Amino acid sequence: MSAAAPPEPAPVPLIHRRSFRNFATQGVYVAITALAFAYVFVSLDLREFGFTFLGEPAGFAVGSQWLVDVDGVTNSRLTMYLVGVWASIRAVLVAIVLSTILGVIVGVARLSNNWLVSQLAMLFVEIFRNTPLLVQIVLVYAVFLVGMPLIQDVINVGDFFYLSNRGVAMPWPVPSGGLWGLPHWFAGVWVLVLLAIGAVAMLIRARRQEQERETGIPMNANRRAFTIFTIGAVISYLVLGGPVAIDAPIIEGTKYAEGMVINPEFAALVVGLTLYTGSFIAEIVRAGIQALPRGQSEAANAVGLSNYQRLTLVILPQALRQIIPSVTNQFLNVNKNSSLAYAVLYDDLFRVATVVQNKAGHALEMFFVIIITYMIISFIISVIMNFFNARVTVHEV
Amino acid sequence: MADMPMQQPPGRIILPPHRERARRPFSVRAREWVRRNLFPSTGGTLLTIAAAVVLGLLLIGVLWFVFIDANWRIITVNRWLLFAGGFPREEAWRLWVGMGFVFLLIGLTYGTWSSFGRRDHLFVAVSGVFVVFIMAHGGTAIWSSVWFLLAVGVMYLAYALTARIPRELGPIRTLQQRVVGGLLIASLPLALVILLSGGASVRQLDGFVLNLVLAPVGIVGGLVIGIPLAIGRASTMKTISWTCTAYIEVVRGAPLLGWLFVALFILDDVIGGELIVRAMVVMAVFTAAYMAESIRGALQALPRGQFEAAHAVGLSRMQALRLIIMPQALRISIPPIVGQAIAIWKDTTLVTIILPLRELKGNADSAIAQREFIDDRIEAYIFVAVVFWAVAFMMSRISQRIERTLGVGER
Repeated sequence: MSAAAPPEPAPVPLIHRRSFRNFATQGVYVAITALAFAYVFVSLDLREFGFTFLGEPAGFAVGSQWLVDVDGVTNSRLTMYLVGVWASIRAVLVAIVLSTILGVIVGVARLSNNWLVSQLAMLFVEIFRNTPLLVQIVLVYAVFLVGMPLIQDVINVGDFFYLSNRGVAMPWPVPSGGLWGLPHWFAGVWVLVLLAIGAVAMLIRARRQEQERETGIPMNANRRAFTIFTIGAVISYLVLGGPVAIDAPIIEGTKYAEGMVINPEFAALVVGLTLYTGSFIAEIVRAGIQALPRGQSEAANAVGLSNYQRLTLVILPQALRQIIPSVTNQFLNVNKNSSLAYAVLYDDLFRVATVVQNKAGHALEMFFVIIITYMIISFIISVIMNFFNARVTVHEV
Repeated sequence: MADMPMQQPPGRIILPPHRERARRPFSVRAREWVRRNLFPSTGGTLLTIAAAVVLGLLLIGVLWFVFIDANWRIITVNRWLLFAGGFPREEAWRLWVGMGFVFLLIGLTYGTWSSFGRRDHLFVAVSGVFVVFIMAHGGTAIWSSVWFLLAVGVMYLAYALTARIPRELGPIRTLQQRVVGGLLIASLPLALVILLSGGASVRQLDGFVLNLVLAPVGIVGGLVIGIPLAIGRASTMKTISWTCTAYIEVVRGAPLLGWLFVALFILDDVIGGELIVRAMVVMAVFTAAYMAESIRGALQALPRGQFEAAHAVGLSRMQALRLIIMPQALRISIPPIVGQAIAIWKDTTLVTIILPLRELKGNADSAIAQREFIDDRIEAYIFVAVVFWAVAFMMSRISQRIERTLGVGER
């Protein structure tokens, strides 16, 4: 730090030297921290510390299973916990997608020239940003429980959608034997074929865009890619004899059967998270757009873009640079806030963890498991969002 | 104003276009405003109609629910449960004194640094009607209404007295700022003394009163721990900055519910004590990490020259931090700090979920569990939402006000 110090007439006393002071401060600091840790370590009862209890049979059941089938007798606590993790991830994913859509719409509406529309958007933001997420979730849940009809008086939309206090049921694609009576795993084959066609379509799109950039001749890259994908999907579907069928829900007694059933717990959690996070994202989008110079908007008008083109081609792409970091933060919040599922007894990772702790003890170990799971999911979200962020910033010249 | 041309000849003064527009009759301006903002084009008109329909349906739905469908008896019958729950009845006067103290502080703060606007009066009036309506329903609790109105009176009196003092800097103004600031800093312990110095124990803080205690504890505790954390994270000493970073990132890694889980099952062995105190500790420790991040952003936004200049004029590192860096950093970070305060205010509802503590939302659950009100859960939760909304909305308005006041003089 004092490399080029001139020769000093008298040596500075040790106690006034910065290097010594830093050293001493850190020494004292480390000692105090270590003592605090030691105190915590001693006061905790760590004799039975270990994770083997996770391998034992669970002894409890979890609801909200989807694409998995577990029971409390044969499956271990760890399996049950992973089922809870899967339930959390589902809710977080759906809530992230929905809240982003909602947030962008409301954020743009907030800046609308139409006074009524912007006031409506402001009303939405002020209501949902300033009420506790927990209350929103239990309120949606209460609306399902009390406000919706019993399943006997279910609201039936064309035998396709059902709405009752048991939740929402809607059609869903399921594997089927199809015309040729193929085994069900051919649905997977079809999905792989679709992915391949999609990749080809993306390649063609990229090449056409490249050509358009070089020659200036419009190549309709998006439309061409879409056509190729659609034709490929239809042909492969027919060749495989229809490996996937749409499964419409039906009502058996007092239960939904078939189709996709969204139970009130999941719906309450996702709707609550969406409204709450959507109101925050709306404010972020608004701030991001307002931070752009007015000239951008005016220039877009001057070259004759429509309102929609101005928004999607000029304003949002630039605003994204400021929006994405803050929105990433909101997505991380969605992940952590999904733990409020506990309040409506949706079996997410946190709730399953507390049930395990209730059955087996080992609170400290369970807390480690919880925090590490949340950190891993947060990490994945950050990595994905950083990827988007990098793509957005690359465009900057 | 001063250089207004006094010797202007009588007749029409030509003003700049925007002023000129403003001089046209109101009816013309109103018509133009409506046309520009509501019916600019066919698409715009359709949008307006759609929005009007949505708004109309919402309004009808809300009015129908509030005045016809809803059974608000669940609130009026359970008002004490919702407000203070297990707090001993014979100590209730402490709550009223505490409420008066809080309103006194609000009046003093507004009188010293801000001013009541029309919207603030409206807000007070609406919440006054709201409270009196709930209290008067059923008839027996006339006194509660009186206490509430008295507290509002105290607020206006304090405001009227402090707002008289001229804002120009001078010994009286400085004294006023010091006294009110000191009162604000001492308010939390003072309020706790008011509530708990008698027969009520900390365990009996319940209902809305618990929210009102938990949130300030979280906010103040979060700042007290968070400011050193932010400074530590920015430190050049590696051990300090690493541990502070680790603290912040680990705390932010798990949701608040996870930390409340720690308070319930793990902290018992470490610090012991009442569960409610452990919950307070967790709230403070949790908020601190977020507060520290807010302040760190401000520290990074400060130009390096500030520190170097302080060094150049011979201030020590501690002096530079205390006199130059922190005052600026804290001012920049007021908006995110208030944002955190609002977040922690809303998060006080979380203690109900896994801890056997009953704040407002938890006591609403108890009210719903009563046989008579089993179908009235929507009413109960809407009441809870409105109460939380009102406080959070007030906080965000104060934050905007502070931002504006601080932004004017200093930039």
